[in-house]
This record gives sequence, C-alpha cells and structure tokens, in this order.
Amino acid sequence: MGLILEVKNLTKKFGGLTAVNDVNFEVHRGEILGLIGPNGAGKTTLFQLISGFEKPNSGSVRFNGVDITGKRPYQIVNLGLARTFQLVRSFRFLSLLDNISVACLSPRGREAFGEVGIDAAASSILASVGLVDKARLPPVILPHGDLRKLEIGKALGTNPEFLLLDEPFSGLAHEESAGITRLIEQLHEEGVTVFMTGHVLRELMTLVPRVIAMHQGRLIAEGPPKEVASNKIVLEAYLGRGEGFA
Amino acid sequence: MMKLQFDWRSRLSRFRVWALSFRGGITLLCLVGLLLVPLTGREYLARIVITAMILTIFAASWDLLAGFAGQVSFGHAAFFGISGYVTAAFVKFVGAPWFLAIFIGTGWAVVFSLLIGIPCLRLKGPYLALGTLAFALILYNLFLTGTWLGGTEGISALPNIGSVFVEFYIMAAFMVASLIIMRAIVDSRLGTILKAIRDDEVGADAAGINTTVYKLVAFMVSGLFAGISGALFVLDITAVNPAVYQPLYSFYAIIMASIGGIATIYGSIVGSFLFTLLSEFLRPLAAASLLIFATLLILIIRFSEEGVMNPFLEHVRDLWDKIRGR
Repeated sequence: MGLILEVKNLTKKFGGLTAVNDVNFEVHRGEILGLIGPNGAGKTTLFQLISGFEKPNSGSVRFNGVDITGKRPYQIVNLGLARTFQLVRSFRFLSLLDNISVACLSPRGREAFGEVGIDAAASSILASVGLVDKARLPPVILPHGDLRKLEIGKALGTNPEFLLLDEPFSGLAHEESAGITRLIEQLHEEGVTVFMTGHVLRELMTLVPRVIAMHQGRLIAEGPPKEVASNKIVLEAYLGRGEGFA
Repeated sequence: MMKLQFDWRSRLSRFRVWALSFRGGITLLCLVGLLLVPLTGREYLARIVITAMILTIFAASWDLLAGFAGQVSFGHAAFFGISGYVTAAFVKFVGAPWFLAIFIGTGWAVVFSLLIGIPCLRLKGPYLALGTLAFALILYNLFLTGTWLGGTEGISALPNIGSVFVEFYIMAAFMVASLIIMRAIVDSRLGTILKAIRDDEVGADAAGINTTVYKLVAFMVSGLFAGISGALFVLDITAVNPAVYQPLYSFYAIIMASIGGIATIYGSIVGSFLFTLLSEFLRPLAAASLLIFATLLILIIRFSEEGVMNPFLEHVRDLWDKIRGR
C-alpha cells in the first residue's frame, strides 16, 4: 500500500484565469479515485499537469516518490503513469492492432513484453478491451464507444501502474458505459491504480469508493461519493447558489 | 544442413507465391522491362531512364519523411545538393573512386539532416516547410556567392563512372536497393512509430514514444537516401553547380512523390518516370510544355488525391480478373 501519487500546492494560470488553484491531494496505491466537478472546474487541466502535457506555475507532483513535475509526457508514461483523453485520439491510418502496438513499442512496453512479445501483447490487450475482432480495421470507421475502448487499450499498451482516465464515459450509451465500468473494475483487480473524472456522478457512484470534488480550480470536498454528492458546497457548485433552488 | 535446405525451399516457395500474385507479377514485369532498356541500344532513352531512376530515390526519400513521418520538408534539395557537392569534390580534388565518394557525400547529407532537423523539430506544418526551405536557400546563396568549390561555376568535368550501359545497371541496382530498404523501414516497427507520430503526435507522446528522437531518425534516414540520389545525380551529369540547392529541386521531389502517391514509397517510381519522361518528350514544345505539365498535375491532384499508382493498379487488376473470367 502507501501513496502512489502526491500532488502538493499545484497551481496553473492561463493569463488571468487560475484553472488549478493550490490543489493538494494524494492517491493510495491500488485504489480507484474519482474526480468530479462541473464543466470548467479544472479537472482536465489537473490531468494535463499530472501527465506532463502542461507545466504548472507552482507546486509539485510526485509519482512513486519521484518528482515528475515538468517532465515530458513520454517520460512520465515510461515511469508507469498513463492517461486517456476526454476527446478520443487515435492513429487514424493504423489498424487497431498497430494503434496498441505503438504503445507496446514504448520503452516501458518493450521492457514488459519483450521485443518478440509485442504483437502477442497488443493482441491480448485488444482482446481485453473487447476489440479483437476488429484488429485489422482503422479507427476512423469505429463507433464512439469502440474508440473509448481503444483509448484505454492504448494506455494499457504502456503497461501502466497508474491510469488517469479523463471522462471515460463521455458520449456513451448506458450499455457501453457498463462495458467500460467492467473493464475498469477488472484493471483495478489486476492492481492498477485508477484516477478518473466524470462530470456526471451516476457512473462514478457505483465504481468509486472515494471522490474529490473540484470547483473553479479548487478542491472543495473529499469523501465517499454519497457524502460528497449531498455536500452543500458541491450541490451549489453544480446547481448554482440560490435560495429557492433544490 | 537440413535446416538450411528447408529455409531455402521455403524462401523459394514464398518467392513463387509472391511472383504469381498480382503485385509480385507487375513488379517483376516492370523490373525485367527496366533491365531490358539498355539492350535496345538507344543511348538517349537509357540516359533519360537513368535520370528517372536517380530522381525516384530522391522522391521516395521525401515520401519517407513527409508521407510516413508527417514532416513536410520544402528543403530537400539541401540534402541532395550537399551530398552532390561533397561527392564531386572528393572525386575531383581528392581523386577518390566514385563508390567511396558516394559514401562520404551521403554521410554529409546525414550530418546536414541533423543540422536542419534539430532546429526545425519544434516547427509544425507550414512552419516546418518554411524552415526547411530557408535552410536550402541559405545553402544555395552560400554556394552561389562563395568562392569555394568552384563558386558560381561549381565543379565540372568529373570522370564518367563507366559506359552508359554500365552506369545504367549501377543506377538500377542503387534504385532497387534503396526502394526495398525504404519500404522495409516503413513496414517495420520503426515505420509504425513514424506513422503514429504523423497521425497524432500528442497521442504518440501519450503512448510513451519519444517523438523528438524518432522525428530525428526520420530526418536522418530521409537525408541519407536524398544524399545517395544527390551523389548519383552529380556522378551521372559529371558536374555540379549551386543550382542543385534551388527550391525547384525540392519541389521536383514533392511533385514526383505526389503524382505517384504519397505514403507509398513505390509510387515515387511511377511519379518520377512520368515526370522525367513527360518533361523530356514535351521539351520540343518549349513554353507550352510547362503549361501542359501544370495542367496534367492539376488534373491528377483534382481527380486522384492518392496519386496515380494505386488507382491505376486497381484498374489493371479488375481488368486482369475480367480476362481470367472471375
């Protein structure tokens, strides 16, 4: 057990806007932590800072005790911290299998699967996200739900210890969400630590034992999802302040 | 012993399958046709085809960088030219044999691909194109205004590397080997990574790929083959002058690769043969030839974004299937 991620006093400003404001929290090894907040709360920016796609103005991020603040994204990935994107990304002209192979060809992937095991590893990851029958297809012709699975598959190709999932349920129908939920539960059982966002609480509720809530760049609440969901400040953040409301 | 024999047989049977396949058959047919050209005894035709073969390597080297790694260079003439100049200088002033001079010239092209690649790495899209163009223009002006290596006149009267027929087969060997190696690279795992960077650089970064290193590798491999073609070009025309650095040469590579089909490598053969043969046969028409050529180019790009090679092969294949009654 112990801490896998420690975020201290993290701040990011874009011009006059403070997107992430003095944020502090920790993630325990092996847990699933949820991050909620209304649109524009700073969830994605926080993920960008942790995964190295943006550099913070101040504060630090430690992963497995190593300071990763300001490291390049690929370096962080190769330490074992992989992420997915809210807007799905894919290598458009590569087959699904090759999409995953690229991640397996990262230094961390090569170390885990070996030079000769890369094709087999990519196929088995593709099978685990439920896309093995579409291995030879390019991503452009896939429905959105499959692209979400591919997004997670690509992150798994780097053999991560820690997964940042940015809105893994966005734009999905209910059955598709259930599929992703099962996948995340399975990863959790395999020992992967998961930190995920969602602006709709419903999906997170069943999956996540602990959530943190963000509003206007600050952390405003922390605890089990039921408690946080009924927290007055969180409700105000989602619904707005008003006497006659709720 | 047994194992060796077995391997040999499987190779042979795999070759037979490939040769009997549509693509394999067409490739072999073209190769045989190409090797028969000198036997027609027409030196003029052989000379044109030699030029086309050299430019094929050049166009394919651009295609490797732009079509597969997504780094569009408008300054490929820099690699072509520097290698040509160094090769010419070593042959002329040091008396090095031509095959050694090619190595040295190509080595310089690789060094320059790093010199140009490193500062241009942060540039993307049109800015990268302009950055590489600027480097080629700097070289052009340095060699045009400088007094070293022959100044404006360049270096001329290099020895021939052999009779036109010997030269033909040497160039053919270089072209075939270069194309096979480039195709093997883009089909390898390195190629997969380059294509990933082309399709989504941020995504490649998130997949743990050090995109900086791989883009530099792409620049170096592309510079290497552009260098080989530059060296061969200079050895073929037995002279070099600052004109090789002109943007025109960079655009030749782009035009030829686009005609044949970007991101195919082999499309460069079709592109550069069409380009070279057409511009040679249209030559008597003087200014009108440019007009015809430009019109053709616009038509090709308008009606076939993927170049002419793949659509053409598909048509031939349909026809072939019909003839065989399928």
